[in-house]
Parts: sequence; structure tokens; C-alpha cells
Amino acid sequence: MLGPGTSWYLALAGFLFGTGALGVLIRRNPLIVLLSLEIMLNGGNLALVALSRHWRNGAGQIFALSVMAVAASEVCVGLGLVVAIHRRRLALDVDRLSELRG
Amino acid sequence: MTGGAWLCLASPLAGAVLITLLGTSVPRRVAAWLSTASVAVAFAGALWAFFSLRSQSGHHGEITTAWTWLQAGNFSAGMQLLVDPLSTMMMLIVSGVGMLIVLYSIGYMDGDDEERRYFAYMSLFVFSMLMLVEGGNLLLLLVGWGLVGLSSYLLIGFWHERPSAVAAAKKAFIMNAFGDATMALAFFILIAHSHSLAFGTSFTTVTHLSPTAANLVALGLLGGAAAKSAQIPLHTWLPDAMEGPTPVSALIHAATMVTAGVYLIARTHPIFEHARTIELIAAGAGALTLLVAGLIALVQTDIKRVIAYSTMSQIGYMFMGAGVGAYASGMFHLMTHAFFKALLFMAAGVLIHALGGEQDIRQMRGIGRLMPLTKWCFLVGALALVGIPPFSGFFSKDSIIASTLNIGWYGKVFWASGVVGALLTGIYTFRLWFIVFPGEPSPFVREHLHKHHGKEGPWTMLVPVGILAVLATVGGWIQWAPRWHYVTTWLEPAARTLAAAEPTNTQEYVTSAVTVAAGLIGIAIAWAVYSEETLRVPAVPALRNLLEHKFYADELYDALFYRPASGLANWLTRDLEEQVILPTGPDLGQTALDAGGAASRVQTGLLRTYVFFLATGAAIVGLVFLLVK
Repeated sequence: MLGPGTSWYLALAGFLFGTGALGVLIRRNPLIVLLSLEIMLNGGNLALVALSRHWRNGAGQIFALSVMAVAASEVCVGLGLVVAIHRRRLALDVDRLSELRG
Repeated sequence: MTGGAWLCLASPLAGAVLITLLGTSVPRRVAAWLSTASVAVAFAGALWAFFSLRSQSGHHGEITTAWTWLQAGNFSAGMQLLVDPLSTMMMLIVSGVGMLIVLYSIGYMDGDDEERRYFAYMSLFVFSMLMLVEGGNLLLLLVGWGLVGLSSYLLIGFWHERPSAVAAAKKAFIMNAFGDATMALAFFILIAHSHSLAFGTSFTTVTHLSPTAANLVALGLLGGAAAKSAQIPLHTWLPDAMEGPTPVSALIHAATMVTAGVYLIARTHPIFEHARTIELIAAGAGALTLLVAGLIALVQTDIKRVIAYSTMSQIGYMFMGAGVGAYASGMFHLMTHAFFKALLFMAAGVLIHALGGEQDIRQMRGIGRLMPLTKWCFLVGALALVGIPPFSGFFSKDSIIASTLNIGWYGKVFWASGVVGALLTGIYTFRLWFIVFPGEPSPFVREHLHKHHGKEGPWTMLVPVGILAVLATVGGWIQWAPRWHYVTTWLEPAARTLAAAEPTNTQEYVTSAVTVAAGLIGIAIAWAVYSEETLRVPAVPALRNLLEHKFYADELYDALFYRPASGLANWLTRDLEEQVILPTGPDLGQTALDAGGAASRVQTGLLRTYVFFLATGAAIVGLVFLLVK
């Protein structure tokens, strides 16, 4: 097996996921939140692909592909929402979009 | 043969459905004629079935199955019709007299706001009754039984703006539902033993049952029969049912409904013969009813109620006949009674119609001079009811009374009550006659009588009355028990008269003589008291009160059933509902609201809190997995 060992990949995946999660948690701009979400998904994808190679099993790669498809559609919806919010001249701040408070 | 039966059954149903669907898109007249035509077609079908059955050798009849109607486990019931002597006889009576009554309704209901609804109900009623008599197994019979209850409810309460009509309709429905329930229970016993409700199977099954079970089955059937036929103790609905339009009273009391009980006993006679005690109880109930109803009829002042009580009394005779085992005599009286009772109701209807709805006989005094045709038709009906030869009642009533003579000491009691009943019939019928018809017209009559274009009524009303007057005269001639017995022979394959209930010719002659004498004495008493006024009614206030309150039956049921139930309901409202349940409801609601309010704090609306909780949760789950592993 060429290249670094699987654990390196997993560590990188964990780092990406953690960075993304932190971004989602602390940033208030919905655009950045979406971006961080993408980073989280990519971290997950990296883990899937790495383990797929580790176990010599193609299933992980297929999973990664479907995650990408889902991520693409999710970004479409998310960006659509951001544009819609902007058009209505509302603040681009996730903390102020809290209409669902009980 | 079966084609006629299907036609007979389907036509009134089609009429009812058609009138309902056409609704206001056709004039009222069309709805009325549609209904009449549908019943006339049914009568044609009945004639077809009758003549083809007559040409069959032995005329045993047959059962035709159209499809399997109901299948549950190993129980199955078909959509079957039975064409046999008993059912064709009933088909002819129901559709024939029914046709005349629907025709009569055209004149009587003219101008009513809801004529179409009325005629749809009438067709439905005739269909229900035909379903009852033609049903080829007990389940279909019960279907017809229930439908008759429903349509009578609809028709009695037809004038739904009158509270009394609505109350009467409910009363009739509840009493009938009681009978339906006892019948259903009897059927459950039969199903449990034979998985079938076919007539033949049920009749053979009963012989394998224990005496108790057989008695229970017969008792259940008797409950249904007594409720439908207004026999004591389930009789109180019938006089109240007079709240419906007069043709409805004629239909309920003459051709359909109340005769269903007699038909049921004749149809299921093998069951009753296996439970002879119950059959004799039926006869006893009939004997009691005929006396009680005859007594109550003596003091009624509403023309329709007098006739209603006379119906109860005559059905009592039929029950007595069918109960002792003289099914043919009972069915024969059912037929002649259909003629003369429909005649009496419809003649009374002509009077009521001409007087603009007045039903009190004391107001009608002397109407005979202005309405001669009605007067004579009513007289024919009255003579047939009392059983004076050669009118039809004479031929049928006397054989019933004679048939009780050979069955032990209670037979003698039945015989005596039958004769006393004949005396009472003479008195109350001619009390009505002498009060209403002869003499100078009263001021009320002169003021309120509205003739229809100078005639006593529209032709649609007078023609049926005329036809029935002829039938009430000659209808009884087809059987005179000592000499010729066409009806008994005809019914023999379906309901053979028990040997014990076959009187000798001497008994017939003696009974006839005594009964006719009793009837004539009754007429003479009525004449002396109400026409000549030479005799005074003895003043016994207690007795008069008893009769005017109909032996306190309504009051008794009120005290026995209504008061305890409403008392319990009131107590529950006051002490349970208001004290416990009412406060509990708001408490429960408030608690739920509080809990919801507390829980809703979790929903902050902040995306980041949600993500935080999610991440923390996932982290905890991950940690648990790591540690437990």
C-alpha cells in the first residue's frame, strides 16, 4: 500500500470534521455556516474513502459519491435560502433568524 | 314463478330510488304516480307468482338463490327468495292493498309540502314488507323486519314539525327495536347450533335442541312478533302511531307491519310447535290483547284511535288462531282484516280530509247525511269488522274462535275471550258509527265540511274505498270452514293446521251462532246507548279512568323504565358529572398546558444551540461506545 497509513487519513478527516463543526457552532453568517457544513461533510467523505481503501471494499466510495450528491442538493437549497433572506432585506445572522422559538 | 317474485320485490325499491334521485326535477304528481305504478307492478308480479305457483302440481313452492349474500366462517346466507303458498298470499295482500292505499294517498296528500318524500317512503315501506314476506331465509326475513321498522318510523314521523308525531315515531321505533333484538338473539342460538339460518335447516335444528334452548328460540321470535304486531306487553306504540298521515295508518294497520307477527308465527311454525308452551303463550297474549284493546276502544274519542285499538284487538284474534295452531284461519283473518281495516281507515280518512283534519268523533256528529257514499262504505267495513254475515269478517273470525275449542281448559278460556271480544267489537264499532253518521249534521260539520268539487273527495280517494268495500264484502267468501276451505287447502304445503286446532262442523256452527249473536247484541247495546239514548252508560268513574288511561300501560312503563333511567341519568349529572368529571377536565387541560409550556423552552429557535445539543449528544453516544467496548 502506497502513501501514508490509514490513521493519518482518519486524523485529517477528524480535523476537518472538527473545524467544520466549530465553524457551524460559532459563526453567525449563514454563508459561512453552510461552508463549514461542507467541510464537515468532506471530512466524513475522506474517512469513508480512506476506510474503503483500508478494507479493500468499494462500498465506502459509493457512499462518498452519494454524500456528495446530497451535499450538492443541500447547498442548492441552503444558498437559495440565503438569497431569499437577503432579498427580503433581513439580517444575514443565524441568531436573529429565530422565529421557531417556543 | 320466481321471476314474478323478483319483479314484485324490485319494483317498489326501484320506485323509491327513482323518486329520491329525480328529486325536485319532476312535479309532485309524477312522484305520486311513479310510486303507485311501482306498487302496481309489484302486484302484477305477485299475481304472476301466484298463478304460476297454482299451476304447479302440489304447489310446494321453491327457493331461488341469486347470489351468496353473506359468508362468515362456516355460516353463509344467500340472497334468496321463497315462493310458496304462504309468501304468495302475503305478497298479494301487501302489494294489492298497498297499491290501493298509495293510490288513495295521491288524493289525501295533495298539496302537502313534501309529497315526494312521502311517496318515496311509501314505496320503501312496501318494499320492506315484501322483503320480509319473500325472504328465503331467516336472515333476510330479519332484514325486512328491520326495514319495516325503519320505514314505519319515517312515515309515522312524516309530519316532523309536530313534536307528538316525532315522539310517536321514536316510541314505535324503540319498541320495534326491542323485538328485533330478541329475534336476533333467537337467531344466534340457531346459528350456534346449525351454522345456518335457512328455513329448512332451522326447523330441523330446533328438534335437536334442548327444550330450554328451543323455548328460548321460540320466545325470541315471539318477542319480535309481539313488538311488530303490537300485542301485550309491547302494544303501546300502536295507538300513538296514529300521528302519521291516515293512509300510513291504513298501510301500517291493514296490509303491512302489524300482520308481520302473524306471518312470522305461521312461517316458523315448526319452531313454535316444538316449543308448544311458547306458542300457547302467544295465543294467550292474543286473547288478552283482544279483550284489553276492545275495552280501551270503548272510551276513545279520536276516530283513528278507535280503529287503531280495533286493529290491536283483531291482531289479537290472529295471534290466538296462529298460537293454537290454526295457521290458515289466522292468515285468512289477516287477509279479510287487510280489506276491511284498510276500508275503515280510508273511509275515516275521507271524513278527516273533508273536515280539514278534525279527528274527534263528537265533532263529526251527523256527517252521514252529507257524505252518503262514505257512510255506506264505512258501514260495510264496520259490519265486516263485527263479523256479521255475509261480510268477510264473519268467515274468518269465527273459525279462529272455533279452533280453540279442542285444546284443553285454556282453549275454553280463549273461546270465551273471543266471544266477549266479539261483543266488545260490536259495541265499540257501532258506538263510533252511531255517534258519527246518523242524525242531523252538527254545527261544526256544517261549518267545516269542504267538499271536493261537490264530491266527497277526489276520485283517487273514492275509487280505492269503493274497491275495498267490495273486497270487504266478498273477500271472505273464498272460505267457509264447515263447507269449503280454499285458503286452508292452499296453505297446507306451507303451514298445515294442527290436528288439535281443527274444529268439528258442529263446533263451527255453534261458535258462529254464538259469535254473531254476541256481535248483534253489541250492536244493539251501542244503538240503545248512543242512538236512542234509552240506556245510560253506567257511571263507574274508576273503570272509566282505567280505560281512558289505557290500563295505565304507558304510566307503568314510564315508572318501570323511563323514571329509573332518567333518575339515574340525573343523579349522574348532578353528583358525578358536575362534581367530579367537570372539574377534572379543566385540571387535566391546565396540567398539559403547563407541561407543554415548560417543554417549549427547549425550542430556542437558535440554530447554534440545536447544533450544540446535537454535537454533544453525538459525542456522548460515541464516548459510551468507546467505553463500553
